[in-house]
Amino acid sequence: MIGNRRILAAVAAAALALTATACGDDDGGAEAGGALTMWTFKRTHVDALQQAAAAFKAKTGIDVRIEAFTPDDVFTAKIQSAAQTKDLPDVLELHSGGEDMRVGGGGLLTDLKGDFDGKLDRFLPSTRESGRVTQQRKDSIEELSSATVGSLYSVPFTAGTFGIVYANKQKLEAAGLDPAKPPATWEEFLTYLKATTTADKTAGGLSLGLKVTQTGFNWIYEQLAFAYLGQQKFEALFGKGTTAGFGSPDGLRTLDLYAQLKPYWMPGASALGIDEADIAFAQGKSAFNVGGTFTLAFLAQNGMKPENVLTFPIPPATGGAVSDLRLAPLALTGLSVTSTTTNKDAATQWVDFLTSAEGAGIFAKASLDLPATDLGTQAETLIGTDLAALQQFFTGPAENTYDAANRGFRPPDYDEVEMGNPLLKLAPLGEADAAATGKTLDTVIKAMWDAK
Amino acid sequence: MTATETTTLAARLVTRPRRPTSARRVRARRALVGYAFIAPAVVLFLVLGLYTIAYSFGLSFAKWNGFSPTWEWVGLDNYRDILFADPRLAPEMRNAAVNTGIAMVAVSCGTVLIALPLASLLNGITRLRGTLRSIFFLPYVTAGVAVYYAWRYVLEPDGAVNLALRALGLGSLARPQGFLADPATALPTLIVIMIWGSVPVAMLLYLAGLQAIDPAVLEAAALDGAGSVRRLRHITWPLLVPITVAVVLLGLRDTMQGFQIFLIMTNGGPAGHTDVLGLKAYQQAFFQSLSPTLGVASALGWLIFVAALLLAVVNARLLRGQR
Repeated sequence: MIGNRRILAAVAAAALALTATACGDDDGGAEAGGALTMWTFKRTHVDALQQAAAAFKAKTGIDVRIEAFTPDDVFTAKIQSAAQTKDLPDVLELHSGGEDMRVGGGGLLTDLKGDFDGKLDRFLPSTRESGRVTQQRKDSIEELSSATVGSLYSVPFTAGTFGIVYANKQKLEAAGLDPAKPPATWEEFLTYLKATTTADKTAGGLSLGLKVTQTGFNWIYEQLAFAYLGQQKFEALFGKGTTAGFGSPDGLRTLDLYAQLKPYWMPGASALGIDEADIAFAQGKSAFNVGGTFTLAFLAQNGMKPENVLTFPIPPATGGAVSDLRLAPLALTGLSVTSTTTNKDAATQWVDFLTSAEGAGIFAKASLDLPATDLGTQAETLIGTDLAALQQFFTGPAENTYDAANRGFRPPDYDEVEMGNPLLKLAPLGEADAAATGKTLDTVIKAMWDAK
Repeated sequence: MTATETTTLAARLVTRPRRPTSARRVRARRALVGYAFIAPAVVLFLVLGLYTIAYSFGLSFAKWNGFSPTWEWVGLDNYRDILFADPRLAPEMRNAAVNTGIAMVAVSCGTVLIALPLASLLNGITRLRGTLRSIFFLPYVTAGVAVYYAWRYVLEPDGAVNLALRALGLGSLARPQGFLADPATALPTLIVIMIWGSVPVAMLLYLAGLQAIDPAVLEAAALDGAGSVRRLRHITWPLLVPITVAVVLLGLRDTMQGFQIFLIMTNGGPAGHTDVLGLKAYQQAFFQSLSPTLGVASALGWLIFVAALLLAVVNARLLRGQR
């Protein structure tokens, strides 16, 4: 009897030991010379990355395994737990200019300066330094306190901008509008919206994922305010101790312009996530949808043919400082090599290939997402006409160009999420007027400047 | 046994006594076997229980993003920021605390108000009682992520609820923006769904309580001329108070700590109208672009724990008062 108990106890202890060891490495980085692993937070990138990986293997013989973890909270938790268990992959695709800095500052990323400093001219000019530790970033991002200025924690991978309006050509036509002619001004845009909502009361409005409240601020308001006020006055809205903030006459005028959208939002827009709003547009539940250059890929994946879509930047209001708004591309995501990789050379080679004209072309064509790699005159050939057409909004005089990557004039502890809720209460919820909204936004900005 | 055998045995016992060291060894072996059996449970408890509790408590006094090599100790700053010091965080937390409080009270009261009459009705019938009990129990069995998604579709602007209201000539009650996008209806709607999910268990508890009441007592009261309302008020209700206390406190605790429904259905929106404390803790931990806010999330978790502990104390006192 005792003997049986001993056997059972031994089995139990062995099971425990096996359970403990089972928590070890299962999907992490490569053994030296083995296959590479790459993690991304974008499901829409997986197929395209796999296609690029196949081309890479044909060239080098190196296998790359792509894994996606979505949504963002899952990706965050995955990185946190993998960092604890030393089980990170070899390559990560991260949000540029913030996430990569924090992860790099936490010691999880390799400094790519030596490998890529000489190759940064392959990228669009406004994206080249997106992964660089600058003094300004070091001062504002806590994790960078012990980082070396000049380190390169990521190289740009995808680029683009927000504030692109997508219009359903069939709905424009049904409303008696010219499906080939985008509205030139904010006022004309409102007449378009009025026409489509009159023609189709329930499915003629504007969709945007306002459940992620900052989208209204980042993707419509900022572009509108920049065009109306011009760069200097726009930046003054966010100033420290400013008297020209959101509650100033200029600020109030921009808020009033934004509030004019109130009658035209798609029903239930404030309960929709970004993907849900895009899907609603692709399904014909709205006539207009606001997104970024990256939205085209998602619309296509959800059955919307790119040729059925008219695209244009947020139109500037009449009488404003800018009449022909341009949108500077910024690096949206970057590629990083982890500090725990056992195969840094192969990982760097993979990043190099993905950001080369060949790799970026394969990726962009398959994903319909714009690469940060400057494809120059080959763009249309490599990425197709629909995607290349979006690039037309990137070029123009500096004074007409809204640059979302320009953060220097904002508080160091700027949090866009906190700007979203007051604007949502202005429109579409209608719980506050422009004056109350301006006052709230000024209070939020002041609190950010005063933050420790 | 013969006398000779007995003598021989006795002699053996005298001449060869069992050595105490050998007995100790046997006891030690047995103890070792016992420890080996409970070791997995103890280790799991130490790792998943004590270790994580201590880790989380320590983290609530630090700033950390989940991967940096070191924690930055900030003392009580995280608690202070949540409660009053941070002009950005504290108002959000107060708003979430108010919403949490409203939901806790509404869900608990609503559950009692629906579950008790439902249990009384079920207790009063004999035919189809089992079938009806199963039907009423369905929400508890099915409640979860998938059902919350189904509710979202039902509550959309062109969802089933609005369609039904319009079809019944109650179009004025329909919400053109949908029930979750409208600030006036978002929180009440979530409360209704939470009540829908919590009624089944409460109803079963009440049904068990009702079936435990001696019918002779009710019969005697009826013979004395007590009507159904008086019987309910003076006999049934007092006997069900301990169950009601349990139902209310379970509702309070579940609503205070649970946030899945808020995360999936509204994510705190529109514009913070359905923010609750559990959701804020989750957002601070995982929706801050890898900022070092795990300490704030942990501190908030501990504040929720203290509130839950106070509820447990109230629970114990109320139940003791019923004995």
